[in-house]
Amino acid sequence: MKKISLNGLIGGILIAVLLASAALGLVWTPFDPMKLSFTARLAAPSALHLLGTDEFGRDVLSRLMVGAQASVWIGFLTVSFATIFGTLIGLVSGYARGWIDGVIMAINNALLAFPGILLALGLLAVFGANQYGIIFALGIAYTPSMARVVRGAVLSLREREFIEASRVMGNGELFTLFRHVLPNCLAPITVLATSMFGWAILSESALSFLGLGVPPPAPTWGNMLAAGRPFIQQAVWLGLFPGICIALTLLGINLLGDALRDRLDPRMRGLK
Amino acid sequence: MTDNTLLSVRGLSLEVAHTGLEVVKGISFDIAAGEIFGIVGESGSGKTLATRALISLLPPAIKVTGGAVSYKGQDVLKMKDRDLRRLRGAEVGVVFQEPMTSLNPSMTIGRQLEEGLILHTKFSPEERRARILDMLKRVGIREPEGALAAYPHEFSGGMRQRIMLASVMLLKPALLIADEPTTALDAVIQRDVMELMVELTRAEGTAVLLISHDLPMVARYTSRIVVMEKGAIVEQGRTEDLLDAPQHPYTKKLLSSLPFRGEARALDMSKQPMVSAQNIVVDYAGRKSLLKKAKPKRALHGVSIDIHEGEVVALVGGSGSGKTTLGRTIAGLVKENEGQIRFQGRARDEDWQDYRMNCQMVFQDPYSSLDPRMTILALVEEALRLVPDLDGAAKRKRALETLEEVGLNADYASRYPHELSGGQRQRVAIARAIARRPRFLIADEPVSALDVTVRAQVLDLFSDLQKRYGFSCLFISHDLGVVEQVADRVVVMQDGRIIEEGDRDAIFDNPQQDYTRRLLSAIPALDQNERGGVTLKWRLEKDI
Repeated sequence: MKKISLNGLIGGILIAVLLASAALGLVWTPFDPMKLSFTARLAAPSALHLLGTDEFGRDVLSRLMVGAQASVWIGFLTVSFATIFGTLIGLVSGYARGWIDGVIMAINNALLAFPGILLALGLLAVFGANQYGIIFALGIAYTPSMARVVRGAVLSLREREFIEASRVMGNGELFTLFRHVLPNCLAPITVLATSMFGWAILSESALSFLGLGVPPPAPTWGNMLAAGRPFIQQAVWLGLFPGICIALTLLGINLLGDALRDRLDPRMRGLK
Repeated sequence: MTDNTLLSVRGLSLEVAHTGLEVVKGISFDIAAGEIFGIVGESGSGKTLATRALISLLPPAIKVTGGAVSYKGQDVLKMKDRDLRRLRGAEVGVVFQEPMTSLNPSMTIGRQLEEGLILHTKFSPEERRARILDMLKRVGIREPEGALAAYPHEFSGGMRQRIMLASVMLLKPALLIADEPTTALDAVIQRDVMELMVELTRAEGTAVLLISHDLPMVARYTSRIVVMEKGAIVEQGRTEDLLDAPQHPYTKKLLSSLPFRGEARALDMSKQPMVSAQNIVVDYAGRKSLLKKAKPKRALHGVSIDIHEGEVVALVGGSGSGKTTLGRTIAGLVKENEGQIRFQGRARDEDWQDYRMNCQMVFQDPYSSLDPRMTILALVEEALRLVPDLDGAAKRKRALETLEEVGLNADYASRYPHELSGGQRQRVAIARAIARRPRFLIADEPVSALDVTVRAQVLDLFSDLQKRYGFSCLFISHDLGVVEQVADRVVVMQDGRIIEEGDRDAIFDNPQQDYTRRLLSAIPALDQNERGGVTLKWRLEKDI
C-alpha cells in the first residue's frame, strides 16, 4: 500500500543528496573553501579539483558543499516563515470575512503591489545585509502571496456544507478552522511552498548579485553564481556548477512537493 | 422499420476506450416521427451516453464498439463532420439538464438565439429577429424585446430553461433530445416547463426523446418507454403497459421505489411542542457599496411553526420560498432578526449547550457535507466529541454501532467519503446526525440528490430510525412525493410566509390554497396493483 511514485522517488533522492552533501560540508570538504591559492587560479575541473577552482584559487566543490548549507537554510527558513504567517493570515482573513478581511487584504494587496525583490531590498536596508536579514526580508516579501492563496481556498471551503455541519455539531470556530478548513487547504499550500523554496534560493542569488546577500567570502550558491559571471568565457564552470545545483534542487523540491501533496490527499490514494 | 420511423438504433454498444469497460450494451429502439419517447434509468445506467451517441457527441474517452444509428435512413455514426453539423441543431435539437451552465453567460440572449438561425437558415436579419421575438413570446418570456439584450444571469432557472427550449425550437428540428430537462428545477416550474415543451413540439410535429430518472414524469408525457439498467435496456414497451404490468424485476423495483403514502400516525399533540418558533423574521443584508447600502431583502416575514414530540413536520415550497432559511434559522446557522425560538419550553438561547446536543442536521448534498479528508469513523466520532459522560472507547463503540444501524458495517469505518456512493454518504451523514441521540433533527432535502431506488432505501432507513429513537423532525423538501411518505404534518411556504398547514392527509386530499394545488398537481397519486405495477393518478389543479 505504501507505493511511492517515480517522481517522488527522484525528488527524494535529489533532496537526500543535497542534504547529505550539506551535512558532509559541515565536517569535511576536499579543500578548505576559504583557502586562497594563487597557483591554482581558474583551474579547469581535474582529478585534483573535481569542479575546478575560482578566480582566487578556491575549490568550487568545497565551496558548493558549504554554500549548500546557507542556501538550504535560507530557503527553508524563508518558506517556513512565509507559510506559517501567510497561512494564519489567510485563514483568519478568509474565515472571518467582514472588516477584518477588508483590513488584512488591504495591507496584503499593498504589499503585493511591490515586486517581491524590491520589497526585500527595502526590508534588507532595515534589517542589514546578513543571512537572517535575508530570511526576514524574503519571508515578509512572500507572506502576502501565501495569504492570498490560502484566503482563496478558505473562501470556497467555508461555503461547503461540512463546515456548516461542524458548526451544527457545536464545534468552536477555532476547532472548525484547524480541523476542517486547514487540512483541506493543504494542497495549494504545499504547491506554493515548494515553488517558494525555489524562489527563495533564486532571490538570495539575486540579492547576493546586487551585493545585498550573504557577504563574501562566505559562499552561497547565489553569490558563487554572481561571482562566476564575469568569468563566464574563461571559466564556465564557475557559474555552471552552482547553477546546476540550484536547478536540481528546485527540481527535487517540486517533485517531492507534488508527491507529498498527492500523498496527503486521501482522494488521490489508490488512484493511478 | 416502418415509413414514419425517424430514428432507429440497432445494437449500439459503447465502451470506455482505455479501460474497455462496456457502458452501453447493445441497445436497440426506434422513435417515430412526432412521437414522445422516454428513456428511464438511474445514474450510471448509460442513458446519457447512449443519447449523446445519437448525434455523435461522445466524450473523447468513449468509443463506439458496435451497432448503428440511422436517422431518416442515414447512418449517423458514419457521417462526415460537415454533415453532422448540419444534423445537429437543424434536425436534432438538444436541451440539457443544467440551465445555469448551458447558456453562455457572456452573450446576450438575442445573440445566442440568433446563432442557430445564422448557421442553419438563410433568413434576413429582420426575419431572424421577428422569429426570435415570436418564439420568446411563445415560451412565455414576458418582455421579449427586453430579453434580447439581457444576459442569462438575469433570468431564473425556469426562465433559462424556457429560453434554451426557445433556441432549440427556433430551428424546428424533427427530433428534440431532452436530457433531464427539468431535474434542476423545483416541482411547480418543472411541470410548467414540461407542459410548454410538449405543447411546442406537438405544434411543430417534433418528436421528443425524453431522458430522465423520474419515472412518473416520463410516464406522464410519453407514449413509449425504455428502461435502462447498467448500460442495457431491460424492458421497453407502451407506457401504460409498462406501468401496469412490468415484466423485468428492475422495472418492478423502480416502481416500488416510488414514494407511497405512509400510515397516518396518531401523535399526542396536547403536550407543549418540542420546538416552537414564533414570528421569525430574517433579513438578508443587501449588497453594500462604499456610498450606499442597498435595502435588506426579507427572507422570512414573521413565520411561526411548532414541532411536537416524535412528530415529522414537512416544510415544502418552491425555491426561494424561504423553507431552507427557516430550517437554518431554527438550527442556529442563521440569526433571526426578530422572533423567538423555544426548545422544550425554554428559550433556545438560554441553554445553547443543551440545544446543540439535541438539535442536529442532515444536509442536502452528501458530496459536500462530509469532510473529504476524514475517514467515515472519524466523521461520526467527531459528532460525539462534545458529548459529556462518554470516554474515548465508549465514543468509538457508539460510532461503530451507529454506522451499523445505518447499514454500514465495520469495513466502511476506515474509508474516505470519496470511496462511497451518494447513498452511502448520505447514510454516513445520517449516522453523524443521530450519533448523539438528538431529540430533534432538521433534514434539509436529505434525499433529493439521490437516485430513485437509493432514495427509497434511505427514506426507509430514516423512518426506521425515527421510530426507534422517536426524535422530532423538520423535514424540508420540494418533493411532495417524499413528503407524502414520511410526514405527519405538512407546512407549505411561499415567498417567506406560511400559506397553509395541516395534517398530511388533509393537505394532500383537500388543499385550500392555489399554490398548494399547483405543487400537488406536479406529483401523481399512486395505486399499486398485484402485478407489481402502478396506476398514476395526476391531480389536476381544478379537481383538488
